[in-house]
Amino acid sequence: MTAPAGRQRRPVVLLRPVPGRSVVHQLWAGTKLIVVAGIGALLTYYPGWIPIGLVAVLVLVTARLANVSRGALPSIPFWLWILVFLGCLTATFAGGSPEVTVGTVTVGLGGVLNFLRITVLSIVLLGLGALVSWTTNVAEIAPAVAKLGRPLRRLRVPVDDWAVALALALRAFPMLIDEFRILFAARRLRPRDEATSRRARRHRWAAEVVDLLAAAITVALRRADEMGDAITARGGAGQISTLPSRPKWPDAVAFAILLALCGLSVYIELFTPLSTS
Amino acid sequence: MGVTGAGETRHGGSLHPAELAHAAVMAALSAATAIIAVVVPFAAGLSVLGTVPMGLLAYRYRLRVLMAATVAGGVIAFLIAGMGGFMTVVDCAYIGGLTGIVKRRGRGAPTAFVAGVAAGAVFGLVGAAALLMLSRLRNLIFDSMTANINGVAAVLNRIPGLEPLAERLKSDFATLLDYWPVLIVASSVFSITMVTMIGWWALSRVLARLLGVPDVHKLDVVDETGPTAPVPARLRDVTFRYPGTNHDALGPVSLDVERGEHVAITGANGSGKTTLMLLLAGRPPGSGTIERPGGVGLGRPGGTAVVMQHPESQVLGTRVADDVVWGLPPGTETDVHRLLAEVGLDGLAERDTGGLSGGELQRLAVAAALAREPSLLIADEITSMVDQQGRDDLIAVLSGLTQRHRTSLVHITHYNDEADTADRIVNLTGNGGIADNVEMVETAPAPKASVAVHHGGAPILELHGVGHEYGSGTPWASTALRDIDLVVNEGDGVLIHGLNGSGKSTLAWIMAGLLQPTTGTALLDGTPVSDQIGAVAISFQAARLQLMRGRVDLEIASAAGLDYHDHSQIVRALAVVGLDPALGLRRIDQLSGGQMRRVVLAGLLARSPRALILDEPLAGLDAASQRGLLRVLVDLRRNAGLTVVVISHDFHGLEELCPRTLHLRDGALAATPTTTGGMS
Repeated sequence: MTAPAGRQRRPVVLLRPVPGRSVVHQLWAGTKLIVVAGIGALLTYYPGWIPIGLVAVLVLVTARLANVSRGALPSIPFWLWILVFLGCLTATFAGGSPEVTVGTVTVGLGGVLNFLRITVLSIVLLGLGALVSWTTNVAEIAPAVAKLGRPLRRLRVPVDDWAVALALALRAFPMLIDEFRILFAARRLRPRDEATSRRARRHRWAAEVVDLLAAAITVALRRADEMGDAITARGGAGQISTLPSRPKWPDAVAFAILLALCGLSVYIELFTPLSTS
Repeated sequence: MGVTGAGETRHGGSLHPAELAHAAVMAALSAATAIIAVVVPFAAGLSVLGTVPMGLLAYRYRLRVLMAATVAGGVIAFLIAGMGGFMTVVDCAYIGGLTGIVKRRGRGAPTAFVAGVAAGAVFGLVGAAALLMLSRLRNLIFDSMTANINGVAAVLNRIPGLEPLAERLKSDFATLLDYWPVLIVASSVFSITMVTMIGWWALSRVLARLLGVPDVHKLDVVDETGPTAPVPARLRDVTFRYPGTNHDALGPVSLDVERGEHVAITGANGSGKTTLMLLLAGRPPGSGTIERPGGVGLGRPGGTAVVMQHPESQVLGTRVADDVVWGLPPGTETDVHRLLAEVGLDGLAERDTGGLSGGELQRLAVAAALAREPSLLIADEITSMVDQQGRDDLIAVLSGLTQRHRTSLVHITHYNDEADTADRIVNLTGNGGIADNVEMVETAPAPKASVAVHHGGAPILELHGVGHEYGSGTPWASTALRDIDLVVNEGDGVLIHGLNGSGKSTLAWIMAGLLQPTTGTALLDGTPVSDQIGAVAISFQAARLQLMRGRVDLEIASAAGLDYHDHSQIVRALAVVGLDPALGLRRIDQLSGGQMRRVVLAGLLARSPRALILDEPLAGLDAASQRGLLRVLVDLRRNAGLTVVVISHDFHGLEELCPRTLHLRDGALAATPTTTGGMS
């Protein structure tokens, strides 16, 4: 009666880095955020095959360096594969150049290539974001945001408030997730009253949504009140971290790679016939 | 890393402690909703609910708070769910903020509707402008969509009779794309208006519900100038009455706290212990006088430090070392390792605070308090939610504190033995004055894993080789339980005892069928429990999470599947747990902790469950409530034959309810018990 472990779905793991102290883990959190933002901007402006490919290579190499195993990926639901397959199929029927002839059948690949490009683009961007959360300790994020936002202070943007709120939200997040789990479990334990008409069903649904929301918010408010007390007991906000948050020389390498990647991509897309966007 | 000098908190526009906390928690709530909406298939509709926390924030606080929450929630959602998560949180803040502000201004649904249309138009125009600039991405998206549509058209074209339809599809879609900016603005207006109206409805309903939610915050920021010197403090005939009540919560009390002394303050719940803490922390008394040489300096270096009851809420940093310095003025140097060594947490500086036990969290809070070199340290019932081991460690830390530091220690407790280490004990009674006749909670020694000597009812719950692993197949896999063999017989009373992290909650969830074990089987009457959710009732430690309706009678009717017009059934359900029928009309948020637990039990028992699992049933209750609840449970087991499984880190008072005790250690049952029932 032992359930094979392989059949279990791998969950989405929230805000916990993959164990290890690789060079990627040791990069400054701010560097990782800048890289993700920079590459995000690059791919929205120049979504060509070559930039996408370069970023994909970067993602794979970084994952290798950080020792991220395939097990870190959440299971991909079956229906998603079907959707992608259907998308490919319909786009293939659309035809378009380039055309490939296999024996007597000529297939236009223009449509399917476009569809694949946007699919791969989304996957690469998701992977890049996932790498940040797989390699960054939660405690390093808020200090990095405070440091990155420092220039904005001159414009009277309350960056420090944001950083403190972010640090506290990261602290509260897992506690709230636990409370959500209990809330939904408590919901499952209850009998479902039989609603006969459609109207009654809708009414019940609405009532349930308000019940769950009210319970979740009541708990959150209580938690916030207690957290406010704890902050007051410490004399208000001040330091949020013991360690200095600043880039070191491996970060310079990371920036150099980012610049090279962006420069090369823009050059290819703007000035060479290899451009695909 | 310095952020926001504490001094700026008041005169600058910076956020106050309460504003920061609410922004953070609501941001986390909104981010959680957004992440579920993005990650879980077909749950996108759920993102609409993320507008409610943001709306509530905009309704209660200034815009600056909403902005901070948007950034915090957006970053969290981005880290977990990528750009989609970030945009969902931003949308929630945009729309939620709108409804919240309309609500605060006292306007109605028509205003919200107009605001929704306007916001939709603005959002759509911004989106259209962005796409206009991102021409390559736009072309890619449009080409890809055109390819899919043309492909469908090509298939339709092959089917006889559908050729005109295929042609229509192709040309209409091309026309639509020609007018894409109009399309984007129109769909934005439509969807944002719709979400605004749904959010408006939900916010209104939730606000109506929240009227009864008590504000449980205790400490207030005290404005003071001059030097900080909270001790020696001399209280003379001090009383205090909370606004809106008609009796004094404290006093009159006269009390001195000398420099460097260790005072224990004891008393039952309601005797005013916490109120006394508030007065010592700077709240002005109703009558009488408090003399101090200087200001209280709450949280300031050399001032007053307070450690409170709830372990999880005390700790603000996500890394142990960060929590010690959290909130200290920028530039302060702190010897974190020495402080951690003093409270027995040496070597844990880099650990994540999420993985600490209740006792460790409280010791960390003490370290953070000591980082301020306070002149007065107030510990307010810091052991009440901590297991026996944690309690002993905490008391060991507190007992020599006044010798190691130049601080006075005021230790508020309802445990007799904890007060013994103090220089002086002060007893408070509820009706004012100080008396020595107080009922106190005793702590009990751990009984040996015992053998069930009596009755051999038929087996109800059977666990065979049960093991559980979280995150199987991922780098984060962790084993919570292994090889659990356990049989619970009809009418049994079993205590499963274990410390934090022993896997006892996982075991409770498996026994209730809420979790399927990764190995082994959990059977109820011979079939898997997970197929019969609800047949085994479970009462969680956080009773409030199990109470979903706004009023007691509605709650019981809903939890038990009763018709709430049939009053007699609800009265009977309340009577089973010893509650007055008049309580049926009470709002849930006006109940005490003990009453909440009983209402949960009333709802669960009214369904005649096969067995009842109680997770930490006595945690956080005072002596009288504990005794009352235990009496009800013992009665039910003895007279109604209820099968009871208690999961707890405590033993006190449970011997009668649970004659059989099992110890759970690191996910395994420590001593194999023998029973008269069918053990395999």
